[in-house]
Amino acid sequence: MRCAFFLAKGGKTLQESIVRFDNISMQFPGVLANDKVSFDIKKGEVFALVGENGAGKSTLMNILYGIHEPTDGAVYINGHKVEKFSPKEAIAMGVGMVHQHFMLVPSFTVAQNIVMSKEPRRMGIFYDLKEANRETERLVREYGLEVEPEAKVGEISVGLQQRVEILKTLYRGADILILDEPTAVLTPQETEELFAVIRRIVKEKQMTVIIITHKLYEVMNISDRVGVMRRGELVGVEETKNVDERILASMMVGREVLFDHIEKTGEPGEVKIKADNLYVTDNRGLLAVSGVSLEVKAGEVLGIAAIEGNGQSELIEALTGIRPVQRGSFYICGAKADGMNPGQIRKLGAAHIPEDRVATGVSLKSTITENLIVGKEKLPAFSKYKLHLKQSSIARYAREVAEKFDIRGGGVDIKTEDLSGGNMQKVVVAREFSFDTPVLIVAQPTRGVDIGAIEFIHKQIIDKRNQGCAILLVSADLDEIFRLSDRIITMFEGRVTGEFKSGEIDKMEISYYMTGHRDGEGGENDK
Amino acid sequence: MISKITDTLREKRPYLMSLFLSILAALLIGAVLMIITGYNPVEGYAAMIKGAFGSSRVFGNTMAKMLTLCLTGLAMAVGSQAGMFNVGGEGQLFLGGLAATMTAVYLQGVSPFIAVPLAFISAAVAGGIYAWIPAMLKVKLNVSEVITTIMLNSVAIYLCTYLTNSSGPLRTHDRGVMAGTDAVPKDFMFEQVISRSNLSTAIIYSAVIAFLCWYVMKKTSVGLEMKITGENERFAFFSGLSKDKIMIGAMVASGVICGLVGMFEVFGYQQRFLPSISNEFYFDGMLVAMIMNYSPLGIILMSFFFAVIDIGANAMELSIGISGELSEIIFSIIIFLMAAEGGISKAVQDRRARKKARAHLREEAVQ
Repeated sequence: MRCAFFLAKGGKTLQESIVRFDNISMQFPGVLANDKVSFDIKKGEVFALVGENGAGKSTLMNILYGIHEPTDGAVYINGHKVEKFSPKEAIAMGVGMVHQHFMLVPSFTVAQNIVMSKEPRRMGIFYDLKEANRETERLVREYGLEVEPEAKVGEISVGLQQRVEILKTLYRGADILILDEPTAVLTPQETEELFAVIRRIVKEKQMTVIIITHKLYEVMNISDRVGVMRRGELVGVEETKNVDERILASMMVGREVLFDHIEKTGEPGEVKIKADNLYVTDNRGLLAVSGVSLEVKAGEVLGIAAIEGNGQSELIEALTGIRPVQRGSFYICGAKADGMNPGQIRKLGAAHIPEDRVATGVSLKSTITENLIVGKEKLPAFSKYKLHLKQSSIARYAREVAEKFDIRGGGVDIKTEDLSGGNMQKVVVAREFSFDTPVLIVAQPTRGVDIGAIEFIHKQIIDKRNQGCAILLVSADLDEIFRLSDRIITMFEGRVTGEFKSGEIDKMEISYYMTGHRDGEGGENDK
Repeated sequence: MISKITDTLREKRPYLMSLFLSILAALLIGAVLMIITGYNPVEGYAAMIKGAFGSSRVFGNTMAKMLTLCLTGLAMAVGSQAGMFNVGGEGQLFLGGLAATMTAVYLQGVSPFIAVPLAFISAAVAGGIYAWIPAMLKVKLNVSEVITTIMLNSVAIYLCTYLTNSSGPLRTHDRGVMAGTDAVPKDFMFEQVISRSNLSTAIIYSAVIAFLCWYVMKKTSVGLEMKITGENERFAFFSGLSKDKIMIGAMVASGVICGLVGMFEVFGYQQRFLPSISNEFYFDGMLVAMIMNYSPLGIILMSFFFAVIDIGANAMELSIGISGELSEIIFSIIIFLMAAEGGISKAVQDRRARKKARAHLREEAVQ
């Protein structure tokens, strides 16, 4: 009796599952994006899916929306197994998705965008614009999402455009709404309004909302349950009320794999990387890095620990010359380097491992040999008069490097796109490390890489450190940061929130600083 | 060396196989069309072969056609290796041809050892500058070079036509000539290699250009940097390559080649610049380049095949009355099938890859 009462009151436990992922795996060239993911989403809940970039959350939602067909496993919507993966099928089954980049026609009106693909018609053939406007007004009344039906989409704010996207899915009859990083483009005010809308449609219309994000306070604010993904796997699904931001942060970044100790030798030398009060903006022109100063000495690894989206990517892009610096300056090997392009910064003595190897680190259609040689093609060892390529020396070099860095997958003449993620990353590491530069800037060196390759890459990084390289390391993986770094700084919202010697702090404690607590605000932190 | 060639052939086998099948299918469809229109296809194709190889004169014409196709195809390939899609070769060809012709006309009486090199330079500069404009727009302002080059084609073609047509300022005053500039002085013209044919010593210059294209694209550090830039601009920038210079350079090189093709048309056999100097030669070259995946050697070989069909079909029309448009039909079908081939083989590959991945995952699950 008591038990039944408890269940009834608990409510959620009795709710039926509306979406079921059964053992989903998704293999892309070089990346296992989803690895045997299984969980349920219940009707009428707000489910937050969190994880770092590349954790596989967008891929999973794209599978639900029918954009990708999973390599293995099954998806059930309302108890029906999805047989054919296409957005059209997904929409018919009641799934709607609002992508990070809106899919709207800027020159059309709000109403025209909303009814698109299911336009009201007169006599079967004529577009009924008036009816479209009436339909839009009906939706506005029904869901309380204020928009002006006749406004041109290109002329309204981003927040309103997002509303149009949501209304579009509602018009098509969606009862499961997927929002992919919906707040990334919104102001705090607009975010609040969006959350109010989500609460209303869940409460009044029994909609199910899945929200992809990596902003943890939003998870706490809006969701009923939260699923955490890491490296393509589901770490866990929790009731939001049973977790806090710190627990989520450690679920997102911690990895319970114990590695062997790597021997670190030598003493730090002179300063090789120095940043002085740097300000950097992101792609939208908003400040992403606000006044960061840091120093890395020869023979040490400085790790930056931060949750995705707190300015560490922009910082690295600025230090490597990909992104301009707004204010402040930085020095590589003593030379002022702000305002330089990547080629000039490399000449000062820096090499980089970019965080996104596919977009920035390799040319997929080129062979492994070609990717290994880029940047060295004009060295006398590889070309006569900086022009005529010495094919046989290049081939010999490529074979040697491939062997030294353990690049497997079928010889050095195959296209790089045919490699697994780990081997592709080894190509990047091999190329960059064999420049033999005094400075290395390393971002996410083992993202999407298998355990064996992680171990290998870690050893290479520490070898470089022991040889006297100054290494700046950014990683979403706290174990990696702890294992490799001599010093650690934490970043939150573009600022440095703490600096620690390795071994001085543990994972739980550092989560405080990564979620915005500054020195001295850490509560039980009694350092 | 031989083992390397066989290796390459093995690697490219699926592609060569489908190319061969596409050509065969196109020729068969051509045969069916001949039957439908009441001709004997054996006779038709015999006339085509005879028309392309039947005498030293027609063979010379076939070779001359091949040179044009080959150079325009290579011009396309050079640009696209660095990710620059030059659709404006036709306009660059017109301007190069006109510039070289006018240089020669003004330098009448000067030693050919001075005048001809100057004509080369003016053709190259005219074509090069005309390609540099869209290249700068692309690099500095990110304006699609495809759009600008297409548009600039019309500008160049109509400008040249205006200048050399009926009342244009550059039109010749020679009697009995309806349109075109004054003739290039006889002693500036290229020697004929096969008498009464269109084949001139342009074949030597073309061979040099073709060799240079192949060499730079396949054997040099510049070619490698072009390839990297063309495939992943961000990676090129990140790696410290001067990607802007590379992209502009590739486009200008493409324009220079097109300009020279224009000059070769005039100095090889036309003698004067005519508004009809090129009948969309560049677009034919583009097709050759695309069919051969921008491979320089492939373009050289395929341009010979295209030249045979093109010249042969004209002769076929004259000798037995089958319309010369048949050649266009055959080209179009080859291109259509090759384009479809890309999609079909990708679908097949994807399926295979997916099956493989699934099997792999299952194996892992069992373990």
